[in-house]
Amino acid sequence: MAGQRGMVDPALFHNLQARVDEDAAVRDELQGIIQALEKHNRNITFVLSRAHSTPVARLSSVLEEAKAPIQNAVDSISKLSEAASKLPYYKFNSMWSRQVQDSTYGILLWAWLGGRSSGGDAKNGHLLTIEEVGEILKVPVNLKDRDEFHLTIEEYLQALISLVEELSRLARNSVTLGDYERPLLINQFTKDVLAGFQVLNLKNDTLRRRSDSLKYRVKDVEDVVYDLSLRNLIPKQSQ
Amino acid sequence: MGQKRTRDGAMAEAKQEQPSSPYVPMFENFRIELDEHHDRRERIIKASRDITASSKKIIFTLQRIRNVGVSLPEFAVKNNAQYWKTIETQYKAVSADLRGINAYRYRQITWGNQEFMESLCFQHYLETQTLISYDEAKMHIASMSGEAGPVLLTPEDYILGIFDMIGELMRFSITSMATNGTLPTGKPNKNKRFKQAVSEDQDEKIDIDSPLSEDVESRSVLDDLRELRLCLEMLDVPRTSKFYDDVEKKMGVMRECVDKVEKALYSLTVRGKERPKGWNPDVKEGEKDTVESR
Repeated sequence: MAGQRGMVDPALFHNLQARVDEDAAVRDELQGIIQALEKHNRNITFVLSRAHSTPVARLSSVLEEAKAPIQNAVDSISKLSEAASKLPYYKFNSMWSRQVQDSTYGILLWAWLGGRSSGGDAKNGHLLTIEEVGEILKVPVNLKDRDEFHLTIEEYLQALISLVEELSRLARNSVTLGDYERPLLINQFTKDVLAGFQVLNLKNDTLRRRSDSLKYRVKDVEDVVYDLSLRNLIPKQSQ
Repeated sequence: MGQKRTRDGAMAEAKQEQPSSPYVPMFENFRIELDEHHDRRERIIKASRDITASSKKIIFTLQRIRNVGVSLPEFAVKNNAQYWKTIETQYKAVSADLRGINAYRYRQITWGNQEFMESLCFQHYLETQTLISYDEAKMHIASMSGEAGPVLLTPEDYILGIFDMIGELMRFSITSMATNGTLPTGKPNKNKRFKQAVSEDQDEKIDIDSPLSEDVESRSVLDDLRELRLCLEMLDVPRTSKFYDDVEKKMGVMRECVDKVEKALYSLTVRGKERPKGWNPDVKEGEKDTVESR
């Protein structure tokens, strides 16, 4: 590098350019993994969407089938975790946050539908904790002391909101399938989740905006339950 | 938020019916974490604003200087001491919040960093007529940070700060042309930059420049502006990054600034021909404005 003759040391911008190029290369590498993850997420949604048209009794085959794309997503996240843990986490996490949320959502839905329970008891209604999702994804959660890849609380909460949205849809479709019990389960669940969100002090961010919409989803489910009770369709033992 | 909830009667009822959702303990843990996060974020935003405000004040003072490549006049040093102090206090206050994994989490500090870069670059330029290097700038912020560790200055912060500094160089040039009728020009002696260089951390810079050549021609601010413009225009930033948008926005402004100085110098040259030697334009605000508006 030639010495400085003018105002700027020629090495200076040369080095800055190298830094910018380095970042671009890192982004390219991550982008490949993230795109694969996106594809696996779509496959999870594709399989699980059959829950809307499958009676609970036959749901276990759907849940079984979802295991493969979930495993693919887990593998992609492992790859992502490995690549990203070498980098400052928050410098790049906006690149994949959405996709990790989607995977988390897929796993939450799968588990809620009974994916984790053996013996085909598909009416599980179980909510995985952030730690349990972390175990499935094989990544740490809510890291504070180390700068590595992890699942953030915000990502988990976003996925949970997506779950409630999907379940409010499932409540209606359950009725169509002749299942008058599941809407009650969903009703209780969505109310419990909403009560949880009301504990949070959310600032004016995307999480806040989306969680504000939760109450409308809860209301949607309540309307379904109302319609059922009006027509005396609610099974006696659950009321 | 509160009103919306109570407005929905069913919702309020639901809340009372089930005061203990099984998920509340889990959410209470989240609340602690999120509150901590928001508090930290707000502290950083506040510090960033304070750093920005003080940096602007430093620049105001520096704009009253008329020479380039000499040590800062007494008034500027004295006047700005308080602002430097404020900036240092703010960096010290947030350095613990911006440590480790949080360095990139709260990029709100970038606004403070950029503005501070603008003032630091400008001052460094006035003193040495050179561009402060990224490493020097980084170390400067590090030296102002608390014991928790240096506050991160990203290359992006630094580059965007340079873009902003060009606006100050434009103002500096135009003011000088309007008041003295000349473009500020440094002395050809290059020794100065070593004496004046910001602090003790200039290790390798000396190596690069030590073969001092006395045949260096004196450069005007416009020469430097053109050089900077070229450097910035040569930067190749990937289009997909957020940095690209920031650079694009500032690139246009930067070019305009250099153009303004070139046009002002053109007018000065053309009109200078009509004037007798030794004639200086009146030092009036009105005169300054007409040049600036061009």
